[in-house]
Amino acid sequence: MAVSASDIRSALSLPSSSTPVPSAQPAPRKSQGQVTKKPEGISRELYALIGPSAPSLVAHLAKPRLKQKPNLSSGGKVKWEWRTFRNGARTDSLQLGHWAKATDDQNAEYPFTKYNVQSPSFAYSQDEYTQLLEDKDWTNEETDYLFSVVREYDTRWYVVHDRYEYLNGPARSLEELKDRYYSVCRKLIRNRPWAGDEASKAQLLNSYQFDKDRERMRKDYIASLEQRTPEEIAEEEALFIELKRLEQNERKFKKERDDLLRTLLGIDSGLPDIVAEEDGPSALSAEGFKKKKKNANEIDIPPTPSNIISLGPPPPKRAQSAKSVAYDAQHCIIRVEPPPSAITKVTHVPVHLRSFKLPAPKAAILPKVTQALTELGINHTRMVMPTRENCARLESLIEASTALIDTKKIVDRVEQDIRVLRVRLGRQSEGPGEDTKEGTPMEVEGGADGEGELKPEVDGRAQSIVSTRSGRGRKQSRRSISVSSIDTSASARVGKRQKRV
Amino acid sequence: MVNYGGDEVSALVVDIGSSSLRAGYAGDDIPKAIVPSYYGYKTTAGDGDVQMGESAPENGETISKPPSDAKLYLGQNGPSIWREGMEIGNPVREALIVDFNPVPALISHALVDVMRINPSEHPILVTEPAWNTPANRERMAEIMFEEFHVPAFYIANTGVLNAFAAGKGSALVIDVGHSMASITPVVDGFVLRKGLVSSPLPKLVHAHARHILSNLTPTRRPIDLLSHQLIANKMPVEPGAPPKFTLREDRIPGTTESWKGWCESREVDEWVQSVAGVLDQGWNEQAAASRPARQYEFPTGYNTYFGPERYQVGEQFFFHSPQLVASNPNLPKNIPTLLSESLRACDPDLRQVLMGNVVLTGGGSLFPGFADRLETELSRNFPHVKIHAPGNPIERKYGGWLGGSILASLGTFHQLWISREEWQEHGKAIVGQRCK
Repeated sequence: MAVSASDIRSALSLPSSSTPVPSAQPAPRKSQGQVTKKPEGISRELYALIGPSAPSLVAHLAKPRLKQKPNLSSGGKVKWEWRTFRNGARTDSLQLGHWAKATDDQNAEYPFTKYNVQSPSFAYSQDEYTQLLEDKDWTNEETDYLFSVVREYDTRWYVVHDRYEYLNGPARSLEELKDRYYSVCRKLIRNRPWAGDEASKAQLLNSYQFDKDRERMRKDYIASLEQRTPEEIAEEEALFIELKRLEQNERKFKKERDDLLRTLLGIDSGLPDIVAEEDGPSALSAEGFKKKKKNANEIDIPPTPSNIISLGPPPPKRAQSAKSVAYDAQHCIIRVEPPPSAITKVTHVPVHLRSFKLPAPKAAILPKVTQALTELGINHTRMVMPTRENCARLESLIEASTALIDTKKIVDRVEQDIRVLRVRLGRQSEGPGEDTKEGTPMEVEGGADGEGELKPEVDGRAQSIVSTRSGRGRKQSRRSISVSSIDTSASARVGKRQKRV
Repeated sequence: MVNYGGDEVSALVVDIGSSSLRAGYAGDDIPKAIVPSYYGYKTTAGDGDVQMGESAPENGETISKPPSDAKLYLGQNGPSIWREGMEIGNPVREALIVDFNPVPALISHALVDVMRINPSEHPILVTEPAWNTPANRERMAEIMFEEFHVPAFYIANTGVLNAFAAGKGSALVIDVGHSMASITPVVDGFVLRKGLVSSPLPKLVHAHARHILSNLTPTRRPIDLLSHQLIANKMPVEPGAPPKFTLREDRIPGTTESWKGWCESREVDEWVQSVAGVLDQGWNEQAAASRPARQYEFPTGYNTYFGPERYQVGEQFFFHSPQLVASNPNLPKNIPTLLSESLRACDPDLRQVLMGNVVLTGGGSLFPGFADRLETELSRNFPHVKIHAPGNPIERKYGGWLGGSILASLGTFHQLWISREEWQEHGKAIVGQRCK
């Protein structure tokens, strides 16, 4: 192995020779701060051969390094010295000693002096007393004594009252002491020349306000609170808890309702102030249930006063200015008057497009009506131009088809009865025959063919199946409607609940 | 340093109680020196003085004052070592210093012999009970300035300091010590003197415990409360069996009555501390009987199990039986009575504040179940009660010292020291003016 001079130097950590060393062979130990440093994990000889182009893998094989320790020894040394100091808050020359940083200013003020603050206190001259402050309950000497005690204890009134011992004076209550002190202060403020403006004077006066009788009454109340019997306390607690519970229910209900309205209508649905329903939590009871259901079915019926003798005053109509009427006409806005009864959640009709409120047949007979209209080539769920007249026509059409279907139902039933009776009669007259049984359905089918202009292929049995299915269909249809109106949303909830049950 | 308002000027805190004297540096959390307040003394060094022993009072209640030339035995090796003809004295009675003669020696023992410091280099803060007399505190200031030559002095109230130790400016401090139980309302760092009540209740508890031990019961004969210093040897015996021991006959003649009384009360205290407890839900025979019995062995070797009677001891803090009340008109008031008395004297506005800041302190409150029982008693009458009772026995026993340690290490406190200069200028009056 060839050993160069620089190798020896680096092994012995000698300074490099004066001859320039090739940059590929830096002295690894010495060049701590240089960029081309020998990476750890490679022997010195190998590094001398391959130079700085060491494979990067070695870096991974190298020992993980710990975070460098903070260098505390150099520079951070703090010298502390025992130093006597003088406290500016003291009036005498007491010198106490403490440890301080040697770098700190020798003559700096003691840092705790600034906490020695005196609270402002009032003093009065003898003239002021005789002019302003005479009081039949208080002598001059006792007032002086009161002010000295208040000053001594910095208006800590409980302590002042505790330490107040005026010789040969009457026993004073805390309220009396406060009243005297504050009234004197108020008089002094009022009658002395005031440098600032009136507002600050009034504010200062306000801060010295004291109502003795009120304070005394308050204290009496507190004392009477303490003298309650355990039974009274328990009763009060129970009432309080009940009140809290009711409030909480109310809040919860209100929140739910608001959430629902926001979800269904959007924030800018122009809601009038909605009166919270009186029955609150009981809305979940069976009665509230029915009511909602009923309202849900009535949604499309134009609101009419069901109760003619209405005792309550009609709700105040919103004043419509001429301008807004013109605006409405221009934009084809038609306002729906709210029902005269109290505005509640269920009777509220938000802003809607007419096409969203197309008249729909009753859910029970919806499939049949749809079928009938389909035969006529009319789609009642979609209208190309849902003008007011068209809507009215559609409504009348649906009404007509509903009536038709009802009539047909009755006809079907009657015919069925007739057929059954006829068969029975035939049996009685002809006796039991084998063909008759098979023949009956054929006849029925034929009869249905003859009669049923609307649904030629539906027979009695099929009808019954439809009617049993209609229950489920109703729920579904309700839920699909619910998107467009709040009323049905209630029924949608009803549907869900029913399902859960 | 400034961040938490502390500035240590190497002040010392000295807290003198009925059972021990605590001394240490302000800013520490434990006193460096804890020496018993009891001390031994002999009028003439060396030979036993039988006349002195006979002239000493029979019971340990009244303190015999030693003549000023008596030799004093102080500290851990003072009263607890048997010496021929040694009497026992205590300068403190009902938390007040009644005999100032041995006090400088006691303080000097703690500061110079135990802590090895020169008192003239350190400001000293001394504690006093809330019912201390002005003459007493002035005398203490005089001792500090004239005998110890301290640069600065302050005397602070233990009630206030206990509140500070709990980190409160306003509190209702219930302090159950070695000889006194007191309730101190503290508002903004000031004691409300009208609401201050105290009674020598721990003494009654002690007497009751001694009564239980030294009287005949159906299951047990009276127990000899001899201390180990008087016993030469003993044999192990079964629980409840009569002890087998031999006395050190050579020591019996030289033992004084006061030393014997001190030993006996120490045995009683030991028994109380290891066995007695408080039922946390009020007195109930069944509950007391259902608790496990505890075995305890006396220095004579006699050992037995103590059942419900150990709860009777603690019960004396809270309830006195009508027979006891009838038989003793000067019975110390129990804690519920003291509480209601104290609160009645306080403003109605303050009561809620105080009940939310109850501080339980003092070594006598370390009975197991004491804090729980107190809470039961208080919450019966007040809806919102919060009791601060340190779980650490050091904090509970030396709460007054700890508060002093906190106070004397605050930067803002250093303006309150009575300096030597002020003492010389104003004399005794400055103590009453400065230490409110």
